[in-house]
Amino acid sequence: MRTFEQKWTAWLDGQLSGSELTEFEASLPDKAVAEAEKANAKKLGALLKREIGAHGLANEEFFSHQLRERIARESARPSGERDGGVSTWWTIRRLLWTGTASLAVFLAFAIFVMHDKNPAEQSQYLTQILNARVDPVVSPNATISMFEAKEDRVTVLWTEGLQSLPSDYAAK
Amino acid sequence: MARWLALFTAFIALIVSVAPELHGAETVWSGLVIAENVAQPQPIPPELTRIERPLKQLFGYNQFQVIGQSSKILKTGQEDWLATSKFFGLHVDARGETEAGYVLNLKLYKEKELLLETDTKLSRRSPLVIKGPQVGSGQLLLVLVVQ
Repeated sequence: MRTFEQKWTAWLDGQLSGSELTEFEASLPDKAVAEAEKANAKKLGALLKREIGAHGLANEEFFSHQLRERIARESARPSGERDGGVSTWWTIRRLLWTGTASLAVFLAFAIFVMHDKNPAEQSQYLTQILNARVDPVVSPNATISMFEAKEDRVTVLWTEGLQSLPSDYAAK
Repeated sequence: MARWLALFTAFIALIVSVAPELHGAETVWSGLVIAENVAQPQPIPPELTRIERPLKQLFGYNQFQVIGQSSKILKTGQEDWLATSKFFGLHVDARGETEAGYVLNLKLYKEKELLLETDTKLSRRSPLVIKGPQVGSGQLLLVLVVQ
């Protein structure tokens, strides 16, 4: 035994028939108002179907938008992270830059050190005479001087006044 | 590839920085030389070829003859040796190695008589020439070269 509300819903949906339909329509206080309500209900149903269909389409678009955003985010990530590989700071480009920078620093230091050492090397470059002496008894008038022939890189200790010797002393 | 390049660069830098410190045993040639002016000069001895031009320019002779010589291989820089002729003797006493060469004490003897003594830092790249006494019409020269 269905209640009035159940029968009303079934009538609106067009699911009553036969004697049940006749009895229900006879029980309505104002059939014209009920028919108007039924027409409104049908309009509402059509509207809801239309809106629900449109809403479903909106969801598709929403998911599509979500997917596009996700793909964009994935694309923006570094390749190593995206591929799930082990990422490292030492990329080829960074290695090249680091090597070049190291070489430049080394050359700068080398030039600086060489430049700094040049004055010292200039004196070390040629032989240096620290001191020289002759026997004052044997050669009382002897004098000693020293000079450098820088062009030929030769250092000379020059003596004057040493005792002259006969040519026999040139023997081997 | 880039890592190998960086390693190679570092290796070269290491070699370049260390290489100047690596000195092997070196030979010091010391000679007693008579310089003279003669009508037909003999060719200069090979040991003196390197300094032929300054010898001729500085001393004004056209012939140089070696009357005594010695080549000493220095391993510790503390060796001593003697280059002798019939009447002269050059005693060389190495007293240590420096970055540029060797510290040497030189004594020139005429027979047993000390004529001249000097201390010097002999550079690897710079020969030493000492003008000794007049001998006849020529001149005794002492020459030391790191070969």
